[in-house]
Amino acid sequence: MAGKQLECTLAAGEYQKSWFAQLRKDVFEKQRPYAIVQADMPFELFQVMDVPVVSNQWWAAIISAKRLSGYYLDILNSMGFHDGLCRYCSLAAAATLAKDSERAPWGGLPKPALLAARLTCDCLQRVFALWGEAFGSECVFLDNPGATELPPRWWELSRRRWRELFEEHRLKFTVKQFQNLIKALERVSGRQFQIDRLRGLMERVNRQEEYFDEACQMIRSAPRTPVRMHEQVANVMAAQWKRGSEWAVEHARTFRDEIRNRVRQGAAACPGEGLRLMWVGAGLWHDTDFYTAFEEEFGAVFVWSMYLAFGPDGYIRYGLDDPLLALASRTVSMNEQLHNPPWANEWMVHQAMLHRIDAALVLTPMGTRPTATGNRFIERALEQAGVPVLSVVADMVDARDWDPNAMRRKVSEFLTHRVLPHLDSVRRHS
Amino acid sequence: MHYTLDKDEMYEISLGSRNDVLPMRASAMTNSDFKTEHKNAADPIGRLSWHYENPAAEALSFVDTGVPVVGITSNTVPWELIRAAGAFPCVIDSGNAGCTDISSFMEEGVFEKRIRALFGAAISGDLQYLSLLLIPRTSEQEYKLYLYLREVARQDPHRRIPPVYLYDLLHTRSPESYSYGLERTLRLKERLEELTGRRIDDAALLTAIKESNSARRAIRKLLCLRRQEPRVTGTEALALIGASFFMDRADYAHLAERAAQAIEDRPPLPGKRLMIAGSSLPHRRLHQALEKHGAVVVSEDDWRGSRSAGKDIADASSDLLKVLFEKYYLDTPSPRLFPFEIADAWFQQASTDGIDGVVFYLPPEDCVAGWDYPRRRHYLDERGIPHLLVREDAMSISEECRKRIENFVRNMDVGK
Repeated sequence: MAGKQLECTLAAGEYQKSWFAQLRKDVFEKQRPYAIVQADMPFELFQVMDVPVVSNQWWAAIISAKRLSGYYLDILNSMGFHDGLCRYCSLAAAATLAKDSERAPWGGLPKPALLAARLTCDCLQRVFALWGEAFGSECVFLDNPGATELPPRWWELSRRRWRELFEEHRLKFTVKQFQNLIKALERVSGRQFQIDRLRGLMERVNRQEEYFDEACQMIRSAPRTPVRMHEQVANVMAAQWKRGSEWAVEHARTFRDEIRNRVRQGAAACPGEGLRLMWVGAGLWHDTDFYTAFEEEFGAVFVWSMYLAFGPDGYIRYGLDDPLLALASRTVSMNEQLHNPPWANEWMVHQAMLHRIDAALVLTPMGTRPTATGNRFIERALEQAGVPVLSVVADMVDARDWDPNAMRRKVSEFLTHRVLPHLDSVRRHS
Repeated sequence: MHYTLDKDEMYEISLGSRNDVLPMRASAMTNSDFKTEHKNAADPIGRLSWHYENPAAEALSFVDTGVPVVGITSNTVPWELIRAAGAFPCVIDSGNAGCTDISSFMEEGVFEKRIRALFGAAISGDLQYLSLLLIPRTSEQEYKLYLYLREVARQDPHRRIPPVYLYDLLHTRSPESYSYGLERTLRLKERLEELTGRRIDDAALLTAIKESNSARRAIRKLLCLRRQEPRVTGTEALALIGASFFMDRADYAHLAERAAQAIEDRPPLPGKRLMIAGSSLPHRRLHQALEKHGAVVVSEDDWRGSRSAGKDIADASSDLLKVLFEKYYLDTPSPRLFPFEIADAWFQQASTDGIDGVVFYLPPEDCVAGWDYPRRRHYLDERGIPHLLVREDAMSISEECRKRIENFVRNMDVGK
């Protein structure tokens, strides 16, 4: 396993662990309300209401990294839920349904006051309702209006001209749903929502994402990437789950500073960097060593994933006179931006060009099929832009069908037989 | 060829033209004499079955007469609005799974076969006869279908893809979703008016509502003949009901009423009474497999079968658009329906209404209905109702599965 190269990566890990321990303590000892939510929920509303949030996807990643996904998913299957059902969004629920807190990471999730999800696929209301039932907790669902106007190059409009980017009726509907969520949060927290507090938080989120933007620019413009992709992810997501908090803003700044220092010192994540790789899709949480497996032989470094780049392009919102509307615009199209044509493919190519990507690996998670949509469009667009693509059929959290050696061989063959000859040919012609 | 009530004969008709259902049904209509014969047959059962087997036939005949045809991809679309605009609404049930371009855009194994076949038909030019392809938000896969088709059209403007429209009907039961859906329905009305150049006034809407209510009444009569003492097999009934999605509804209502009259005179069918739940079935293969072993499928939790009609639309209302919207928002099944109490209500009522057993159909491509299975199974277990899980694609049921079906039917207590 490659060691951590940034101090802030260790700090992020430590912070998350101690934050969770404190959360458990607060919930058990002080009955503090907390919430379990889907990753694309407006975390900001929970932040301003002082309701701590555990992201479903974060907890699934922790379970997976602890090599427990097979255990819990087997239990889920033995309860009659067949093995073709989505795993990423249900793994954490499976751990609750298993009623085996001794085995659960870090003592497991305590009973939340609230579970909440946006209905971006047909399974989520089912998964969260089952989960809520198992806990005996309330569920809040936000419906997801469909997009019918999808202007090109969304990232050029998203920061300042977001009112033009998203249809007005979708934003208004989302705001109304936020107001319902706020009522639920007021009920469980006993606090009153204050719009100015949200505005202040949104401003801090902007600052946090500006730090990430700077980090992103340094990573893509440095001769060799100063930070490995999975360290980017660890730092970025630790902050995104708490976005706008003092810790998160400060952590983003520290992350940027460390990268800046490394760039100034000419430090490279992989001194022999020869190939710059892009990872499209959620992280491979059960085998993060995979991301450094091709450095020694090929000098192939994973430079890009959506996690860092989406921060600035997807989250920054200037013009906060109506912070709820701005928050709606941050939330309403995450799915289209990251997973569906035309926005996902267009953005991925743009990012690949900015980051001087030589080849891309695209995760096609057959165990979590709704998140696999849009992949062919992404693959085609990247190939058309001159970026060779390898489709990786695997699940992000379920290691049961994952053969690490076979997959490493497959990638090696791809690099040897497709990517290197392709680059030779490009260099010869240029 | 004669239409009789003999089961084997019926299977022959079914298998003869619907072997591949989505891929085959469009082309099947062009090359068979017996089909033409039965299109015009006096026998209403034969005619309805013909339309079920040839789902695009009536739409194409309307195109020939200059009537705009609006294709819809599933059930949560206000059919009556399309009709009131002067267009012909038709569920698109004839796909093109063989279109080689599908795999260039659509991930293998990610989308249901039905959605892939629809996509194939749209990008291959097979649906160019449509003035509009109206895609409701009945399922998330249909929303993705909409986005995919738009993108293919954008990337390759020369493809003969019909214009697509998303009817963004949400399904959570909240005042916000209600208002949103009503507003979307109004926008759809405007789009249809623009398409046909005809204003949808109350008179036109009322006529269309009355027409579709008459079809619903006829369907409910057919459904009555399936329950308690069934006089029609599920295999046959599915075609008689399903034809309503592809036909002029006034004609349909007339034929279905006559079909019901003819069926009324039949003696009750012996056999164990089964209900099918789970994924929607765009064909009758599972019905056939179950009925081959002496069972009778008396209902299915499926918009294509027992849940196709629901209640009438209140045509006496002073706000027809509102009651129309409410019909599709509140009384139309969809995989997005929520919460469980609402989503399960029909299943719970139907499964305890003279049913001997339930067959859950969760094909390998399912990634939604499987979440409901343990809960619904538990409901049946508590009431001692036998059930069987079919996890295979009903288009190609294995011998092993057939044996399980046979054992299930044989060992079930009659008249529970």
